[in-house]
Amino acid sequence: MTLTLILEQIFNGLQAGVTLFLVAAGLTLILGIMDFVFLAHGAQVMIGAYAAAAITQATGNFFVGLGLAIPVTFASGYLLELLIIRHLYQRDHMEQVLATFGLILFFNEAIRIGFGPAALYSDLPESISGFVEILPETPYPAYRLGVIAIGLICALAIHLFVSKTRIGAMVRAGANNPEMTAALGINIKILFRLIFATGACLAGVAGMMLGPLTSVQPGMGEPLLILSLVVIIIGGIGSVRGAFIAAIIVGLVDTLGRVFLPSILRLFFEQATADGAGPALASMLVYILMAVVLIFRPTGLFPAKG
Amino acid sequence: MTGLFHFANLVRAGIRDNQLLWMLVAGFALFPLFTHFADLPFWNDVAMRIMLLGVAAMGLNLVLGYGGMVSFGHAAFIGIGAYCVGISQFFGLSNGLFHILLSIGVCGALGLVIGYLALRTTGIYFIMITLAFAQMLFFLFVSLEQFGGDDGMSIDRADFLIIDLYEPLRLYFLIWVALALVALLLMFIVRSRFGVTLRAIKSNESRIEAMGLVPLHFKITSYVISAMICGLAGTLFASWQEYVSPDIMHWTRSGELMIIIILGGIGTLAGPLLGAIVFLLLEEFLPVALGAVAPAYAENWMILFGPLLIMVVLFGRGGLVGLLDKAIFSRIFRRRMAVK
Repeated sequence: MTLTLILEQIFNGLQAGVTLFLVAAGLTLILGIMDFVFLAHGAQVMIGAYAAAAITQATGNFFVGLGLAIPVTFASGYLLELLIIRHLYQRDHMEQVLATFGLILFFNEAIRIGFGPAALYSDLPESISGFVEILPETPYPAYRLGVIAIGLICALAIHLFVSKTRIGAMVRAGANNPEMTAALGINIKILFRLIFATGACLAGVAGMMLGPLTSVQPGMGEPLLILSLVVIIIGGIGSVRGAFIAAIIVGLVDTLGRVFLPSILRLFFEQATADGAGPALASMLVYILMAVVLIFRPTGLFPAKG
Repeated sequence: MTGLFHFANLVRAGIRDNQLLWMLVAGFALFPLFTHFADLPFWNDVAMRIMLLGVAAMGLNLVLGYGGMVSFGHAAFIGIGAYCVGISQFFGLSNGLFHILLSIGVCGALGLVIGYLALRTTGIYFIMITLAFAQMLFFLFVSLEQFGGDDGMSIDRADFLIIDLYEPLRLYFLIWVALALVALLLMFIVRSRFGVTLRAIKSNESRIEAMGLVPLHFKITSYVISAMICGLAGTLFASWQEYVSPDIMHWTRSGELMIIIILGGIGTLAGPLLGAIVFLLLEEFLPVALGAVAPAYAENWMILFGPLLIMVVLFGRGGLVGLLDKAIFSRIFRRRMAVK
């Protein structure tokens, strides 16, 4: 357990954290601000990953794939809102759960029909598959570093957008009191549709960036959906700042737990038991964290309202 | 005015709902006769699965439908109930009655702890904290290598006191008895003072508090009862499946239970059972129907199932019980209203 390993894992945790934040930020906008329980958010991650992988394969250029996948995910979010979601805002949460669960089934199956059940793997182009020395003699994959950078830039952009711009003010006003905001002459329907599409797009960006790091396959979004729900709950629903901090914490806890828990367990148990139980117990850590936070702060760390 | 109207509606709905429930339960009692004469023994298996999921969904419906507490972690109790059988057998305790009592006791205790901690939160936070506890238990059982870990453990259909459950029809009627008892229990609970208070808490908690009652006590009690019912379903599920793995308590099963309830009609007695029937029949028939139209895509039946769920939400409010209501009963009741 050298310093290099620890540092490397902290960076991996950060990378997982910022990716998680991109998914959670979209969900914060949709669930926290628009109060819509959108379980199919994980499917948007999958759509982004598939769009990027498919366009990369068709054009042979990784960057074209990334660039074109962004408008694709935005368009898919926009269309989804237009066709189905807008009819569901006024329904209660349980009905939203049922309908968006139906959407998950539909999207997963559509992808399975279109691309087959096997996972797609996309290779990184040579130009960004190298290593960068973050400290002397501590190489780190350049692509993961890039993911962290893009994630941080997106986080800053979302924060500035929501808290400093005029549209951001409209979004906050619309969330607080839709009727009053509409009475002030703001087209709340279009506003919500654009927020929804933006949230879908953010999830899509997370999916695209994850593509080369994990396997792209049907149903890949659901574990991320659950984790990002955990994130926005820990952070406090509707708070972008809370979602960011919680995403980093969850990313670090999950990654570091997975790597170091087995070796900590090895101090107390035999190796076979420790290696078997370690990963599963590491997965428990995140949920233990959430339960503890909620027991002591029932509305999360940074509640947005009240 | 509207309040009275709603109240009248509720009374009428209660009576019809109740009749529908007992019609379904009676149907399950007669079903083996049908499969025997039609020579379709496979369908007994499907019916057992429907009843098991139906019992679990009825248990969840007590907190979800009547108490307004959206628990996203009830699969954990099914799993604990199932593991009570597996782990008891691992230690050589093979009495079925003991398994049932053990799982009801363990699930009750666990429900008390989880309910006490989770009920400090409300709304979406409650949904998520129940999910958190379920996920913890899920990963706990994944990590228990001794009991099979990820791969699970096989289960011997136990000697249930004097009955030998290797005969499938005996298991069928054991499950049926459980279904009928749970149905009876829920009917009494819903009609009792306790049930009325629970529904009142759902619609306005602070009024109940102002009346000098402690809403938390009612909520925790209902949570514990529903955990016990799910534990019972899990115990029988393990015997039916002859196998238990952490998969039984995966979060998608909690979702499935919720879907079944919403599909059938939330906060109704017959809804969960009706939802389970429709859910599992769709699972059986959609692949067949799709296979007849496009044979290459028979296994992609979810492409139809997903949009079907969305349609139910968009066009059928109040679940299937609500739809049946409109279709069958509306004419009769319009006349009654006119008489009044």
